[in-house]
Amino acid sequence: MAEVAIGIDLGTSNSCVALARGGKVEVLPNAYGESITASVVAFAEDGSITVGNAAKANIIHDPKHTIYSSKRLIGRYFFSEEVKKAKAICSYEIVEGPNHSVRIKMRSEEFSLPEISAMILREMKSIAEARLGQTVTKAVITVPAYFNDNQRQATKDAGRIAGLEVLRILNEPTAAALSYGFGKGLNQRVAIYDLGGGTFDISVLEIGKDVFEVLSTCGDTFLGGDDLDDRLIDLLADEFVAKEGINLRNDPYALEKLKVAAESAKKGLSIEDEVEVRIPDVIVGPDGRGRSVERRITTEEYSALVMDLVMRTFKVCDEALQQANIVARDLAGVILVGGPTRLPLIRNAVKEYFQREPRTDVNPDEVVALGAAIHAASLLSPQQEAYLLDVTPLSLKIGVASGLAETVIDRNTPVPIEQTRGFTTFQDFQESVNIRVYQGESRQAAENELLGQFHFSGFKKARRGEVRIDVTFEINSDGIVNVTARDPATGQQASTQITLSSGLSEAEIQKIMQRDRTAQVVPSAVTAGMVAPGNKGAAGPLPQTPSIATPPAPPVRSAPLVPPPPLPSPPIAARTAPVLPPPAQVDPSEDLEVLPDDLPALPDLEPPGEPAQAEADASAELIVMDEAAPLPGGDGPADFEITGGFSQLQPGAEPAKKGLEIAGLDGSPDERVPVDTPSEDLFDRNSRDLSPPSEDISIDLEVDPEKKGK
Amino acid sequence: MTGDGSSGPKPRVGLDPKEIKALARLVDDLNYYEILGAPLGAASVALRDAYHAASRKFHPDAHRHLDPEMRGAVERIAKRVTEAYSVLREPRRRKLYDERLAQGASAGARMQLVEGTVEAGRRAAEERGGKTLNGKRYFTLAQGDLAKGDLSAAARNLQMACTFEPGNELFKAKLAEVKAKLR
Repeated sequence: MAEVAIGIDLGTSNSCVALARGGKVEVLPNAYGESITASVVAFAEDGSITVGNAAKANIIHDPKHTIYSSKRLIGRYFFSEEVKKAKAICSYEIVEGPNHSVRIKMRSEEFSLPEISAMILREMKSIAEARLGQTVTKAVITVPAYFNDNQRQATKDAGRIAGLEVLRILNEPTAAALSYGFGKGLNQRVAIYDLGGGTFDISVLEIGKDVFEVLSTCGDTFLGGDDLDDRLIDLLADEFVAKEGINLRNDPYALEKLKVAAESAKKGLSIEDEVEVRIPDVIVGPDGRGRSVERRITTEEYSALVMDLVMRTFKVCDEALQQANIVARDLAGVILVGGPTRLPLIRNAVKEYFQREPRTDVNPDEVVALGAAIHAASLLSPQQEAYLLDVTPLSLKIGVASGLAETVIDRNTPVPIEQTRGFTTFQDFQESVNIRVYQGESRQAAENELLGQFHFSGFKKARRGEVRIDVTFEINSDGIVNVTARDPATGQQASTQITLSSGLSEAEIQKIMQRDRTAQVVPSAVTAGMVAPGNKGAAGPLPQTPSIATPPAPPVRSAPLVPPPPLPSPPIAARTAPVLPPPAQVDPSEDLEVLPDDLPALPDLEPPGEPAQAEADASAELIVMDEAAPLPGGDGPADFEITGGFSQLQPGAEPAKKGLEIAGLDGSPDERVPVDTPSEDLFDRNSRDLSPPSEDISIDLEVDPEKKGK
Repeated sequence: MTGDGSSGPKPRVGLDPKEIKALARLVDDLNYYEILGAPLGAASVALRDAYHAASRKFHPDAHRHLDPEMRGAVERIAKRVTEAYSVLREPRRRKLYDERLAQGASAGARMQLVEGTVEAGRRAAEERGGKTLNGKRYFTLAQGDLAKGDLSAAARNLQMACTFEPGNELFKAKLAEVKAKLR
């Protein structure tokens, strides 16, 4: 049987799998005949794992052991805003793992986010295999265009853990554009408005027959359909407090019922002008009597609740159009992607903003998976039929002195791309440099996403300025970042595929693959009674399911409401494998590119006879060199001018001072680290930053204005 | 497994492995116009079409069935194609590049795509005033002091700035202004 490669849209709320072959592209429905499957994972007490709509139905029964919206957490640091927010609203337990990573605690086990995503991917793979009757090992997986490198890497790891060779990590809007324009020979500019469960992306593309060139992409990874639901939850919960004096948010079961109701109401309002939310016995009052929620919601009222969120998407659209250097009327079409775009209030707002009717011939739930499938088939085929020219959504930066970040590759630069910057050492006889790489749009290093840091040593020891180090930044076609440092004199080279500090090391991935918890996912085909007749789904009566009635007919799907059947034991042998403890602290020797937090500061080298300079503690400083500039002479006075300026300024200051500043910077006060701050304070001040105090000062690249800007 | 990978690399339309290898070596000696295959004065639409055409030829996806060495060569060319287009599509960068070429820069001379934030900050400082390093620095510091409301520190730093750049009217004016406030 011919080998196939599938396309998977791994969504925040729902996932979809599709296949293109023989000139046809189609969604592969799950065992219930549904084209989309909930991105929800439920952990039963017996150790079995359920994924999909059955798992979703489990939320209201066992909210603590049902994981949803995990895509919001993937590739993020534990201290990030999004994780804090999730901890506040999610009913499952989110804990901190090694290197500031996020783990989800389920009964006695801890799971990394890639592992959870792998369970969903495994399910999508099984759906495809059940439909096709053959093994599937290759896939294109989509991510929001605005995902940073950490999130992309983590998604790629998830694919591997699920037993898939990930042919490409593809941006969701790009996939949608491919699905829209493939094989049509179009010559036009289009915008893809992609409002998903947890993220918003807008991409502007130029389609030139078989070339799909992304002109710009912008997004907000904190904005999606979930946020619309939260507004309605707040309304219902607040009204309930006012009426009954009970806060439903404090009861995980009641809160989950509210969530289900809010989502159903949103879906109802996509079809009707008015819905009624009804949750009988949402909670039992102190008197032992059940209380209910009954509330009629009109489209107008709902619009008022969420309109500011919708308006936020248009600010992002403004930015994207500006970056593409076009105005809305230059566009030949607007394509809507994502379930929430079915809401008439969003369609109307989009129509008003772009001054044109959005395309209605595209299924917003399926278009991304279809595009991914087209691309997967094209990557497998020897004959290329479409060329995707994508961009990097976020600027790539390198950390420099005073807690700032210098841009090396701007956002919306086409990929693949490579840029080399020359640096030189800043200290006499400096032995090593520590290079920190960021993604984001802020000048403040700490406000960007730290992708990773690495250590480069082994270049010749010499006086400052005499060593040249070339640092090359590469973004490949997957949008994945590689950084190489090289000493052109010795040919010494240190290369790293930037690995996120919160991500998984190769060793951890191997461990996870060995224990293979994803293999314990009960395929939905089994749950639906399609494959294994012995495991018929025993649909028990549902206690108090919230219901939404739209006046004519409630849009009820029966299959997803079936609770997961109590299976005697998971059908897969991997259950006998011992459950390994959560991955231990990463051994630094295995993981060169990540500096563990407790690593001591780089050793200070005291140049003979110059103790005063050693006090500056700039063990790993570099000076940016002009691309074409010759190596500077060893004792160039200009270097001293910059670096010494600070001690000139305050001759009496204590030696413990760390922050060096960049000469000639635009000098608003917050742009400089206060010179008289001892290192401990410096760390507190930058507590959002990962690095221990020593590192904050040890990186520090210096720009030499005399050599640049010619 | 399919035979796609093992049946041997099939050369693409008009591109044989020898040509790719030669181009990958040559690409360092070509200017951005030559890389895209567009004439020096090409209009932006023509540049875009040239970029699309070059991408059809050298897109890494179209060559993924080749052996790793060849794939590396194609990737190298592709990265230079995007670099060339990224510089030339932006009028300001293109103008700078054209000037460099006109001044006899070697064909392989490359331009950085980004003016870094630090660089931009310095340029802003230059635009604001100050010709010497120390003049600019002390002026910057003085502005920081002013933002904090520390007038006497600002006066000291402005005095320093004036010492390094006695002829700078902006510094003088600012110093006078601060001194007036101090009294």
